[in-house]
Amino acid sequence: MSEVLSVSGVSAGYGSLRVLHDISLSINRGERVGLVGLNGHGKSTLFRTITGLVDWQNGSITLNGVQIGGKRTHGPGLKTHWIARQGVALMPQGDAMFIGLTVRQHLDAGAFTRLAWSERHDRREKILEIFPPLRKLLNQPVGKLSGGERRMVTLGRGLMGDVKLYLVDEPSLGLAPKISRAVIDALMKVELTEGAMVIAEQNLQLLEGCVDRLIGIHGGEIKGAADSLSLQSGMI
Amino acid sequence: MDMFTLMSGLQLTCIYGILAIGVSIIWSSLGMLNLAHGFTFAVSGYGAWWAAITLGNSGWIVLGAGVATGGLVGLCIYFIAFLYIYDKPNYPIRALIATMAINMVGVQTLMWVFGPRMKSLPKVFGSGVVRLGEVVMTYGQMGTIICSVGTLGALLTWLGLSRRGLEIRAVMQNREGAALVGISLRTTALWVLVLTGALAGLAAVLLSQTFFVNPYAGMQPLIKGLIVALLGGLGSIGGAMIGALIIGFAEALTASYLGGQHVLMVQFGMIIAILLIRPRGIAGLLDESREE
Repeated sequence: MSEVLSVSGVSAGYGSLRVLHDISLSINRGERVGLVGLNGHGKSTLFRTITGLVDWQNGSITLNGVQIGGKRTHGPGLKTHWIARQGVALMPQGDAMFIGLTVRQHLDAGAFTRLAWSERHDRREKILEIFPPLRKLLNQPVGKLSGGERRMVTLGRGLMGDVKLYLVDEPSLGLAPKISRAVIDALMKVELTEGAMVIAEQNLQLLEGCVDRLIGIHGGEIKGAADSLSLQSGMI
Repeated sequence: MDMFTLMSGLQLTCIYGILAIGVSIIWSSLGMLNLAHGFTFAVSGYGAWWAAITLGNSGWIVLGAGVATGGLVGLCIYFIAFLYIYDKPNYPIRALIATMAINMVGVQTLMWVFGPRMKSLPKVFGSGVVRLGEVVMTYGQMGTIICSVGTLGALLTWLGLSRRGLEIRAVMQNREGAALVGISLRTTALWVLVLTGALAGLAAVLLSQTFFVNPYAGMQPLIKGLIVALLGGLGSIGGAMIGALIIGFAEALTASYLGGQHVLMVQFGMIIAILLIRPRGIAGLLDESREE
């Protein structure tokens, strides 16, 4: 199996606060990995570190052998667009949405890279097959959508590009149980022939049977990994 | 309201609208309050004047030279006030000071090179009068209105449909989200500053059909542009257009009924009143969806 993402010795934080302590992990092609841990223990920060959005970071992060990490002490977000073009799609927790754009424009924005842009119509159709409720909302501004619909748009935006690594941050956050189930199911439909997916989630039951393995994160450090979910109820 | 007031109101609306949209787009996409916009405006007037005396009096040359000069100044602003400082802390304040410096140095340089004497541009749209029933318009007024409406229409269509347009609007809405889909703020900023510079150049040529070109020509339009952009709600293009309509007509009405010296007073009074009632300007009324 070939590695898509390899993180080694990564620390990161905001200002004088150090959130991640010497994290190392690796994700292989075709894998769906659950990243579990309590609120405030660094799941989102790990994702933000991979996409270069934290204030400072240190350590190696490679995507298919290309170094996208390194030491950085200022300029959060300066390299993010480049990392995104390398094929990392972060579907963020706060959604980072374009409130005034319509759903259609929003999805098109996800296909911003030149190659993807030319195929945006076909790709949009695929997204609409995964998230049928969006079809009726195509011309609505995103700001008018409900939380669940917004989450679908965020995920859809991430799925539009040529992605090698999907980072899904708390897909169930703030959603009704039935809707979060649907969102997870939709994520399971995504083909991972070329890439891999990491889902950060607090709700273990939701991931049960969906992911290939779990990585636990606690206090900014990796605490245990497991192949099968049934063993893991007491893990964290 | 007599016809003259109506026509000059419409003309001012168009010019302020073009400037305000520039200010508004720059502010919301780059976080830069571009005080050098007035300088861009003044230089473009000189660029057009210079082209007119060296290259020829044709309307296309004058318009083209104004727009090109504006775009070029936008490029300079990109290098001086954006590229090397946008990743530093407190960028909005740094950019404010940098653009203010560009404005001061630039205006004094214009004064030094061209002297304080006013220059007049050739009539781009020719001189003459059109009668549409009751309404009497000079060619200049009609040309200004058609030209700016056409430009704004084209701009809005481009922003709505093209990939670059989507890029600019995405950055205006959410910079982090934009970075996450692979949009580079540096590239976007280059486009935004050149584009808004060119718009200011166009506005300069249009306004110089009625007023003279001089080193301080940019001051008043800059203030008006800022007022309109604030009134419309910074970042909203639709809001800026409505704001321009209100400010343009307020100016024409004040000038003809109270006298020109009251224009700024009335406008600032209006902006204070409106911002007290609607802190986000007109844009807050336009879309209820931007609650975040």
